[in-house]
Amino acid sequence: MVFNSYTFLVFFAIMLVLHYLPFSWKTKKINLLVGSYLFYAAWNPPFVLLLWLSTIIDFFVGRRLYNEENKARKKLLLVISLIGNLGMLCFFKYGEFLLDNFVSVVNMFGMDFHPADPGIILPAGISFYTFTTLCYTIDMYRKESEPVKSLLDFSLFVTFFPHLVAGPIVRPPQLVPQFEHPKLATRKQFFDGLLLLSLGLFMKIVVADSLLADTANLVFNAPMPLAALDSWTGVMAFSGQIFMDFAGYSTCAIGVAMCFGFSLPQNFNNPYAAIGFSDFWRRWHITLSAWLRDYLYIPLGGNKNGKTRMYMALMITMLLGGLWHGASWTFVAWGGLHGLYLWMEKFLSEKRKSKGLPPVKKTGFVGFSLAMLTFLLVCVTWVFFRADTFGKAGMMLLSMTGFFGDEGFMMLSTLAILKVAVVVPCILIFQWMMRNRQVTEEAYRLSWWKLGVAWSFLVLMIVWAQESGSAFIYFQF
Amino acid sequence: MTNNSIVKSAVLMVVIVLGCVAAYEALLRSQGVPVSFDDSSALWANSRESAIENQENTVVFVGSSRIKYDLDIPTWKARTGLGAVQLAHVGSNPVPMLEDLANDAEFKGNLVVDVTEPLFFSSLPFMLEKPESGIKYYHDRTLAQRASFELNYYMESGFVFLDKDNLSMNARLDRLRLPNREGVFSFPIFPAEFALTRFDRQTGMTERFVGDTSQVNVVRNIWAGMLKGNMGPPMTEAQIAAVIRKVRKSTDKIRSRGGRVIFVRTPSSGPFLQGETMGFPREKYWDKLLEGTQCPGIHFSDHAALSGFMCPEFSHLTPSDARKFTAGLVDILQQMQFIPVQKRLLTNI
Repeated sequence: MVFNSYTFLVFFAIMLVLHYLPFSWKTKKINLLVGSYLFYAAWNPPFVLLLWLSTIIDFFVGRRLYNEENKARKKLLLVISLIGNLGMLCFFKYGEFLLDNFVSVVNMFGMDFHPADPGIILPAGISFYTFTTLCYTIDMYRKESEPVKSLLDFSLFVTFFPHLVAGPIVRPPQLVPQFEHPKLATRKQFFDGLLLLSLGLFMKIVVADSLLADTANLVFNAPMPLAALDSWTGVMAFSGQIFMDFAGYSTCAIGVAMCFGFSLPQNFNNPYAAIGFSDFWRRWHITLSAWLRDYLYIPLGGNKNGKTRMYMALMITMLLGGLWHGASWTFVAWGGLHGLYLWMEKFLSEKRKSKGLPPVKKTGFVGFSLAMLTFLLVCVTWVFFRADTFGKAGMMLLSMTGFFGDEGFMMLSTLAILKVAVVVPCILIFQWMMRNRQVTEEAYRLSWWKLGVAWSFLVLMIVWAQESGSAFIYFQF
Repeated sequence: MTNNSIVKSAVLMVVIVLGCVAAYEALLRSQGVPVSFDDSSALWANSRESAIENQENTVVFVGSSRIKYDLDIPTWKARTGLGAVQLAHVGSNPVPMLEDLANDAEFKGNLVVDVTEPLFFSSLPFMLEKPESGIKYYHDRTLAQRASFELNYYMESGFVFLDKDNLSMNARLDRLRLPNREGVFSFPIFPAEFALTRFDRQTGMTERFVGDTSQVNVVRNIWAGMLKGNMGPPMTEAQIAAVIRKVRKSTDKIRSRGGRVIFVRTPSSGPFLQGETMGFPREKYWDKLLEGTQCPGIHFSDHAALSGFMCPEFSHLTPSDARKFTAGLVDILQQMQFIPVQKRLLTNI
């Protein structure tokens, strides 16, 4: 079920009514859990079994891990959990990718091997809930938090429908304590939640789907070299679309959870206003960045074991982060490019430090120019993220340089170019202005009628756009 | 702002939204704008599902826009007692739809394939887009999408303003008709009243459109522009033969399961017909198709009841002519024993 559908609106209304009826807290939690399974089953009912499997294994293994004193047994339990979680992820998400690569390697050595198409279907959101459960067992192994006492609370932590399919990726201490005691939204929380839901739907339906998606799709699906203007417009359109799509989802998720009285962690903080790439990753998909930092980068050595180790850890983290997004080498290249940017940034800042120069100014014209440079470099990485193959990515990058000259195909209408030329700069200017501020805080600064008018604008645009039901891009990850 | 203020903001939002939507809906209704459904993959998938239900009493139609305009489903039902499932897509090549039905072991019914030669014998990718996305949607549909479709039906049936093709934000922006750079192809923007879609996927023009010469001329000019435009080189003999072989494979599959297939060439007129006759001569395309597939066919020019229609914009029939055309088509299909006469007699009793 997607947030931008009539089905979800009906489902959400029913869940709210059930949550605010005078049932016991346990009954309310059971309602939320059953509702969450229905929410997930609406895609493909059999995949609920995977959720159950993951939940049961991690609940019991996690508890044993926490209480086990024998080191060997403890390690064995961790391995069981890792095999259970990552094995499932590998089979469903990377099965075909691994097979394809195996076939390519074997065929390179002259063997004529052509296996049948395994036809594996990717369960929605598997990367997200696998990371959610994985961090629990690792935390139990490290004794970093207490084991969850009830299976009901743990199941709800894994399955709570707002975050289930595309995050934010939650950690047990962020959500489980909220399930332990009766909780209803305050009036402010409830209406803030509705406001955020409206904003998230506006970002997804109006900006991502109506104004940018067609242009991005047209350009990235083109089989021929394009004119520089068309290729840049397509890349800019995708840059805007991916942000509005994913941040729109996260905003909806946070808003929906808030209506029930729960708070989910922030996932985006104006990433296109980032100055540099460390800043970008502190603002883009924040919960994934934090997960990769805590469960991959730091265990790989982090920045406590010398520079070489730090640079290696950084690159491995970014490459695996890329692979997490999709089973394709283009995603690995996307991660690798971000890794290179981070290397360069670290190198330059260390050089500056060694010369005794102060850190780069992050305000005013200099700050804005650096943010635009960061944005342009991020746009280049999106080419690898969006293109299906390296061939297409290469052709797109060459098109962007104007390499094909008059041979470059002109395919975008004036209207399509204008939409991108208006929307993307608006996103950039808005994010720069909001760089250190939060939307809800700003909303509260407005008088009630100004907020009412602004809110009406969001909803009327959603109604007018008449786009509903298209899947969020991050569902495929 | 206090906590109570956000409630006031929410109430104001609801009042403004409901007021604007109600006013817009009232305005459209006062202008006589009828309800039109979004001719989306979801609507197509709904019809596709009907193609395998109650097959003994249903005839399935695939093709391009002409059969969507020219087949009047109420007339068909009244005269045959049979259902009609409309699977055609405007501006599209119907071969993928034919293949999809052929590959569905459950489909054993009667199929009418509408042939518009410039589309049927084309390999241009954009002519495959709608059929392929509809087919993919049908096979991948989730429970949530089915439920949303049902809810959407009630919304679209009740509100005129929910017309994505003509009244949505993008449709309105498209109607600004901004000039493009030289050489940039863009899909034509048709007048809103030229293409209204019903829930059964029948498409039609309004009587107001038929009576408005300026609107009719807009569509005529679109066709003229398209005929002059570069639609790729004509197919070689070998390519035509390859298309027919591909179609034969599908028709054979359907017939091997007990189903039946008939091709229908729907009418066109004026310069459109002249262009089609010159560019796609009957003996080279239509006759070869029937010969190659060994399926029966009905060419409008062979039957008095189907010829003599004047398409206002040269390519599609008016609603009243569609009723006459459908009646004529039913008679011929019954004479050819493609559909039983018995059904009609029983219904008429």
